[in-house]
Amino acid sequence: MTPRKTALTPGSRAPKPRSGGTPDNPLAAELTRSLGPQKVLSNLSERRNYRYDAIQFGATPLAVVLPESTADVVTAVRAARAAGVPIVGRGAASGLSGGAVPMQTGLVISFTRMIRLEVFPERREARAQAGVVTLSVTEAARPYGLIYPPDPASFRTSTVGGNLGENAGGPLCFKYGVTGDYVRALEFVDADGEVHELTRDAYDLAGLLIGSEGTLGLITEATLRLTPPPKYTRTLLASFAEVGECAEAVSRAIATGAVPAKLEFMDAACVSAVEDYLALGLPRDAGAVLLVDTDGDDLDTVEEERALVEAACREAGGTVRRAATDAEAAALWQARRSVSPALGRIRPQRMNEDIVVPRSALPEVVREIRALGDASGLPVVQFGHIGDGNLHPNILYDPRRESPEAVHDLAHRIALVAIRHGGVLSGEHGIGTMKRPFMREAVDPVTLGALRDVKRALDPAGRLNPGKILPDEEGETHAHP
Amino acid sequence: MQHDIPVPALGPQGEVMAHAVDACVHCGFCLPACPTYALLGDEMDSPRGRIVLMKEVLEGTLPLADAAPHLDRCLGCQACVTACPSGVPYGELITSFRGWSEPQRERSPLDRAKRAGILKILPAPKVFSVAARVGQYAKPLAPLLPAALRAPLDLLPERVPAMQPQPPVTPARGKRRGRVAFLAGCAQQALTPNFNAATLRVLARNSIEVVLPEGQGCCGAAALHTGAREEALRLVRQNLTAFDPGEYDAILSNAAGCGAGLKEYPVVLHGLPDEGQAQAFAAKVQDISEYLAGLLRAGELEPFLPTPRPLTVAYHDACHLAHAQGVRAAPRELLRAIPGVTVVEVPEGNLCCGSAGTYNLEQPELANELGVRKARNILSTTPDLIASGNIGCHTQIGSHTRRQGSRVPVLHTVEVLDLAYRGEL
Repeated sequence: MTPRKTALTPGSRAPKPRSGGTPDNPLAAELTRSLGPQKVLSNLSERRNYRYDAIQFGATPLAVVLPESTADVVTAVRAARAAGVPIVGRGAASGLSGGAVPMQTGLVISFTRMIRLEVFPERREARAQAGVVTLSVTEAARPYGLIYPPDPASFRTSTVGGNLGENAGGPLCFKYGVTGDYVRALEFVDADGEVHELTRDAYDLAGLLIGSEGTLGLITEATLRLTPPPKYTRTLLASFAEVGECAEAVSRAIATGAVPAKLEFMDAACVSAVEDYLALGLPRDAGAVLLVDTDGDDLDTVEEERALVEAACREAGGTVRRAATDAEAAALWQARRSVSPALGRIRPQRMNEDIVVPRSALPEVVREIRALGDASGLPVVQFGHIGDGNLHPNILYDPRRESPEAVHDLAHRIALVAIRHGGVLSGEHGIGTMKRPFMREAVDPVTLGALRDVKRALDPAGRLNPGKILPDEEGETHAHP
Repeated sequence: MQHDIPVPALGPQGEVMAHAVDACVHCGFCLPACPTYALLGDEMDSPRGRIVLMKEVLEGTLPLADAAPHLDRCLGCQACVTACPSGVPYGELITSFRGWSEPQRERSPLDRAKRAGILKILPAPKVFSVAARVGQYAKPLAPLLPAALRAPLDLLPERVPAMQPQPPVTPARGKRRGRVAFLAGCAQQALTPNFNAATLRVLARNSIEVVLPEGQGCCGAAALHTGAREEALRLVRQNLTAFDPGEYDAILSNAAGCGAGLKEYPVVLHGLPDEGQAQAFAAKVQDISEYLAGLLRAGELEPFLPTPRPLTVAYHDACHLAHAQGVRAAPRELLRAIPGVTVVEVPEGNLCCGSAGTYNLEQPELANELGVRKARNILSTTPDLIASGNIGCHTQIGSHTRRQGSRVPVLHTVEVLDLAYRGEL
């Protein structure tokens, strides 16, 4: 079938500037020879810029490849295999767990120039290369009355490939699910440089690749499911004196049977940080705020659900404000989206948790984390997709004034709160390097063994994104050479 | 971002730079806002990437020459500042960095001469006017010339208009309601003298007296943004002497780039004895659209005559107005106040048109590509006319829309208001 529309994704037909100078290592030289100087970055200034994501800095790669096709990816992977160096895939590097950060010197493959996007409205599908910016899928689909629901906070920046690698969620995930729920098929390149086409039949290998953070293969293209947007959306903001009350409101609302599209919370420190940036008139005196969207094609049901949520909020001690206009609702959601980076106004660095706990345990968990934060003396803020029980406690710190060990220790204790209440370590940001040390406590040894077997089956030499997800085996100092 | 910038050794501008680096959490929210990232798709040509490069050059771990090509490709449009939730003052960083690094740059004699020429000619209206006239005759030769010489010729209009006299004082019409100082600008006097003429007429019609203080010069933005810090300091101080903020209700500019430059004076003089004077000055600076919108909001703006037929106006946000000065609503409110005018938004409105001060002359290929894209986006709204508040955008958009076969007029916002007052819109 011919696609109806090729989207206007950013990009340029102009010749890209060439990497100047002579590559100073054999891998960069070989790649430059086979792919040409415009697709390979070999200068130090260029390579230095591919060693970080939105959370940490790692090792400077030997070379960076900016592929424009799957064939380029294959060439790059084979060159790295021949050189015996690790490979790290990278989208826009807006990730928050270190997933795209090279832990060892090797090759980085950055997908930002693989931006072909086709929409097939009859099939309600889009075919996107890995570097397509997430929001542009919806923008291309909208003229056909369709949208692509996964909406991570970074969706203006982040790429489809990166979202797949982390199985990213977003506020809409409570009702509509996460990235992986919208994948019909995948193309990926394995550690040997072979290209595979996967669907969701038989063994759901696509499901295995999604959320594997580039440790099992490099996703180069995906067929994504599109849906019609709901006809009506209603937004409300509830404020609470204390963060636990906010969690109680959520539990009550969901117990009544309401299925809001989005249920998000921010604690007082988040509200202040966002107000400093956007000055939207959010209640700075509140201990926590809850942002809720109810949506659907039947206005009565949408209003009814909003009323149920409002009542639950009031019963839990909150005050409720309805967004009067679409513009007001959009501003409130912009506020929520900006929380993460706006926290930089408080401290330059942060340790970002991504725990998920049973909803029934929410009030207790948020209060326990609040107490741990207060006792530590470090600024701890909380926000997240509370409808899913997905919380993002963030420890903010200044490495020049505050001890990284104390930060790590506090992060560990927060992770243990989640585990103790029957929760898990990651909802949407992935394990990466940040939560890798806690994996032994979160996953039982037999299951961890099964994960290691899967990794060995698909990447026997341990060349794909080493140092992520799986903790070192007992007695081993480095996961892989 | 954590850094080891040797701040004390770098002086007051070091503080400015270190503060900006500190504030960046490398989240990447700036990437989609950046024109060069949109074109090139690589990290070094993004704001986040450039901040890391500047940090490492300042720390002494990366040679300046390695970072320079990527820093030179930055348009200074500051769209990243608008997009940044962490409040990184990127504009202050890149401007200070260019001032700090320029004396260490190794440039070819030709490059040096070109830059010196630009900085001599642009800020001197009379010299520019002569140069423009010479260029006008050289225009037919453009295809034969190397790109560096072709770019400026491409930008010249077919006919360079005659200079118009600018009275030192334009009296208010009727009872005087206010008194403002006006920065006359440089190249714009030669290329588009009607911008200033229309500004003076519109202000007079609203009973505002306009003074062009004697001894004023170029705002210094061109020198500052190309790293000629000493030259910039000289011009800044010249204007601080010429304009006494206590004498005026406001100090106005009708060029977004110049207005942004004037508002930057306190950063330029940060840590120097005349910093306080610069703050008092900058507090009075407004873009012409901000000032007029203030009158409109107070219900004091003279009403416009309705247009004879409905008019669709595509308003283009100049980067130095929207991103550097945060002025977005004012020009739109003014245009909408003309009965019969509908203001339409341009797709990818936040993306720079590619003009960006001297960028057109220094990075002609990227500038051209952005110009093509901007013209296509504007024309997709099928406007009756195009309005903008900056001479650079005006020239760039006019030249690219004409090249795409359009005859839609490109006007300064204040020219549109002036025509509306005269019933000629």
